[in-house]
Amino acid sequence: MKLRDTENTLVLGLFLGVIGAISALILAYFADITKAPIKKMEMQKTNNALKEVLPDFDNNPGDNKIAFGNVVFYGALKDGKLVGIAGQAITKKGYSGNVEAMVGIELNGKIRTVAVMDKKSADGKVEKENISAVIITKQSETPGLGTVVCERKKVVTIFNMFDKDQNASSLAPNPILDQFAGQTAGKTPWKVEKDGGTVKYITGATISSRAVTGVVYDIDHTFMDNRQEIVNKLSGNAPQNRGDGK
Amino acid sequence: MIKDFTKGLWKENPVLVLLLGMCPTLAVTSNAKNGLSMGLATTAVLLCSNVAISTIRNIVPKKIRIPVYIVVIATFVTVVDMLMQAYAPPSVYNSLGIFIPLIVVNCIVLGRAEAFASKNNPFRSALDGLGMGCGFSLALMTLGGTREFLSSGSFFEVKVITPWTVDFMLPSGAPGAFIILGSFLALMNWMNIRRAVKKGEIYIPPEGVDCRHCRLCDFGNSSQDEQQ
Repeated sequence: MKLRDTENTLVLGLFLGVIGAISALILAYFADITKAPIKKMEMQKTNNALKEVLPDFDNNPGDNKIAFGNVVFYGALKDGKLVGIAGQAITKKGYSGNVEAMVGIELNGKIRTVAVMDKKSADGKVEKENISAVIITKQSETPGLGTVVCERKKVVTIFNMFDKDQNASSLAPNPILDQFAGQTAGKTPWKVEKDGGTVKYITGATISSRAVTGVVYDIDHTFMDNRQEIVNKLSGNAPQNRGDGK
Repeated sequence: MIKDFTKGLWKENPVLVLLLGMCPTLAVTSNAKNGLSMGLATTAVLLCSNVAISTIRNIVPKKIRIPVYIVVIATFVTVVDMLMQAYAPPSVYNSLGIFIPLIVVNCIVLGRAEAFASKNNPFRSALDGLGMGCGFSLALMTLGGTREFLSSGSFFEVKVITPWTVDFMLPSGAPGAFIILGSFLALMNWMNIRRAVKKGEIYIPPEGVDCRHCRLCDFGNSSQDEQQ
């Protein structure tokens, strides 16, 4: 009898088993060869985010880290001295799932200002706008509403698509995230205007705005509470083999 | 033989004529880049699974052919998923996310396996998979491009109309997906009918895309029996 028309359950089961075994082998092979690149990709993602919120550094902040509660702090060193700290934390209070933020903090606890940009308001006045070192590294908020709170998207137009990276490292402005520039977390948690606070929010994305405000406050507040310890630990990890006259 | 490839592009376009794979079509086409990447991922899976299934078509017992096909397809999808995670730009993988594993249950892949690869040799099956994949990619990219342009005046994330600063949310959201896909289908049918009328014929959908020619569900089987 031909295998094609067989009705024997044992043969059928065996056939399916063989197919499964072959596919398991193929999968094992691919899982093995993609393991290292996937890990590298993940690390690169964290490193890119760190580069955006931290001042110039010459160590690998991804290795120089310490966790306090649910916040992970990364220390940036230059010439063996601690120059900046980045805090990363996840909140579950987003509108749909987790929101992960990365905040660059100065040693005194202020949230870093990355750049000052000129902004033309509607009536033609030029105002200074501080760009804060706050970025959202992971979110799944509603496109067009919640993402407006979270995203720093640079606008590429047909006019500037070819002049490449004149300032590729600088962040695009975001009115919600930029409010935190230069702020220090005090005793009372920050609140959006709707809840009686001072943080501006986007109508239709109150929950996302609340989540972002909360997680940024948490990061800075955790830093302020344990400042001495974090600064000591992160600068203590400085590589000692440096300093041979360079 | 070249027809095996070209039929997927227009005459039997999987999205616009066969109406298969509506889940990824509606979900990921919010911009042109996502549409194109989803299309390419599906093309890779279609090509590999078509060739593999066509190679083993003569030894697979009829009774368990669907589970075997699903295992084969799932293997290739997982491989593509891992490769994308490792080598695709992070922004692409982030936005396609859960839709890559869902290619497993995409009707196009199983549909072509059952309707074409299980009856034809590997070479023709490869052409068929490639053609269907290209048709799918083209349809998704056009749909995504249209939605992206209508919602923010940009194409492939490049702003074409610069003063357009506030996004219009209807086309990029779910309702817009239905509206624009519907308009596309209407346009496609209108063009086909008009072409047929010019030739003095009546437009009939391509053979093999209705229930009589598909053995996937009981409805197809029973109507086939009636014919015989």
